[in-house]
Amino acid sequence: MYKRIAVVILIVLISFTISSLAHAQETDNIYDYLDYLSSDNILSLQGEIDRLKSKHGLDIAIVITDNTEGKSSRDYADDFYDYNGFGLDDQYSGLLLLINMDIREIWISTTGMAIRIFTDYRIDRTLDRVASYLSDGDYYMACSIFLSSVDAYAQEGVPKGQYNYDTETGQKDYYDKRPVTYTEKAVAMMKSPKVYIVAAALALFTTLMLSKSSKGKQTTNKLTYEQNGSFTLRNQRDQFIRQSTSQVMISSSSSSRGGGGGRSSTHRGSSGRSHGGGGRRF
Amino acid sequence: MSTVKQYKCPSCSAGLKFNPTVQVWKCEYCFNEYDLEELEPNRAAEELPEEDIAELDSYRCSNCGADLLADDTTSATFCLYCKSPSIIKTRFSGRFKPKYVIPFKLSKETAKELYRSWIKKRRFAPTAFKQQEEIDKVTGLYAPYWLFDCKVNAMIAGEATRVSSYRQGDYRVIHTKYYSVERSGEMKYNMIPVDGSIKLNDQLMQLIEPYDYKDITDFSMKYMSGFMAERYDVESTDAANAMKKRVERYVEERLRATINGYNTTRITSKSVNFNEVVDNYAMLPVYILVNKYKGNSHTFIVNGQTGKVSGDTPIDRKKQVLFALGIFAATWIVAVFGGAFFV
Repeated sequence: MYKRIAVVILIVLISFTISSLAHAQETDNIYDYLDYLSSDNILSLQGEIDRLKSKHGLDIAIVITDNTEGKSSRDYADDFYDYNGFGLDDQYSGLLLLINMDIREIWISTTGMAIRIFTDYRIDRTLDRVASYLSDGDYYMACSIFLSSVDAYAQEGVPKGQYNYDTETGQKDYYDKRPVTYTEKAVAMMKSPKVYIVAAALALFTTLMLSKSSKGKQTTNKLTYEQNGSFTLRNQRDQFIRQSTSQVMISSSSSSRGGGGGRSSTHRGSSGRSHGGGGRRF
Repeated sequence: MSTVKQYKCPSCSAGLKFNPTVQVWKCEYCFNEYDLEELEPNRAAEELPEEDIAELDSYRCSNCGADLLADDTTSATFCLYCKSPSIIKTRFSGRFKPKYVIPFKLSKETAKELYRSWIKKRRFAPTAFKQQEEIDKVTGLYAPYWLFDCKVNAMIAGEATRVSSYRQGDYRVIHTKYYSVERSGEMKYNMIPVDGSIKLNDQLMQLIEPYDYKDITDFSMKYMSGFMAERYDVESTDAANAMKKRVERYVEERLRATINGYNTTRITSKSVNFNEVVDNYAMLPVYILVNKYKGNSHTFIVNGQTGKVSGDTPIDRKKQVLFALGIFAATWIVAVFGGAFFV
């Protein structure tokens, strides 16, 4: 009962806060409480967000504030997302970029499918790019870089071997569900093209080996019919004619940068929903 | 003079056959054994005529008088009716008179055994090839051979290179020295066999070589008794050309082996001259089995002296496909149901 009242009070408080800051520029998805973005910027970012929403099925929010109501960036970002009705589909898929000017920190909060797509590694990479513009004070570029990152990763989809790692319980939840029972494993093997390739290769190899029936072994050679000691070398001439020199560049092998693993760390927000994400100071 | 010769047991007058295992003539009826001297005390009477004897339209078995069934080249065979070994003398006379023979050393039973183990290894051979009645068709045959002796004068010339390389900074420096090389030499070859029968596959006949010439002896028709024999239908001049091709290869290999110490050798010209080419006509022993499959003949040959085998067998597509499917299915089952334990 108290909990419910507390939630109601919180919602009232937040809506009050939002309405009290009514002068701030905002659209459906962009909450710029500090007026860092021009209205043109906001319009163009909102347009991009609308496009990505329908393209990838991910909700996107950008919040710029210096008042997190005493919450950590992570909690504020999670709550903002949950209590303002963001999220598409039944998993509330989407992500939120919080620029917390109070402690100069950015935070990306992911929910639903966005947790799957934005692994810890991808979040770090995105933060790298966004933070570099924030340090220069270019908020518009930071936001549009964020959106282009989202577009690119969402296009790539969930990476291979992705799993959600619950930081509280330590449980792993693979996106590609591994078969568990023997029957499931056997069915998975039946569907695996590798099994067919190996079987076909082995069948082909053994059949060819057994089909290759030689007509017989050659047991005569250049010496078989030569009379012993009859060979005499009459003339032997080795004459140097010319020489040539060439040089070849020795190519050094270059090492390629390895990509990160498939982990997406998750935690539970105050609403009870699971979120992923990450952040850093700038 | 009779044109068909049959050797009869001096004791019981049954047809005598040469027995490869004991290397004497053994009567299958009274079990008496005779060696070459005992069988032919009066050697001169058996001398084969040096001049050609005119071919007859047909030959009769001197034992029962029936017509002998014989191809143009058949020189020794069996009477179809009384099974007596019969030798057509005209076909061993004149230009068809062999100089040498290597008598059979391997018994027919051994030859059959060799075929059996050889065909067993050919998994996709048609089933008919593996049946006993097929195996029983193995026939002992004296094959006509030309044995060539020759002296060779040869020269090869070409270009050879010596390559060295070392590293210099980021580069590998390759240093190539070119040499003009030339070798010439002489050698002598003895008794290079070339089969003198069109019917016999040259490649298979080469694969049963070599014969061991320590057993070679002067030709006598008596060795033919109890076997089939063919006379040559490849003239010695044609056989000589085949022999020369072979010797040219040997000579080049021989001379090439004396070019040492180079990284690459390329022969650009060669010449091989043959002197003193001598041909000798000889009968050499083979066991032969000819199978028919889908209209093609497939031959299996055993060297009747050393037991070396050669032959070609067809592949039964149905057997092959079934086998491949079997392996595929077995692998699939093992991979799926066994592999499921490990994933």
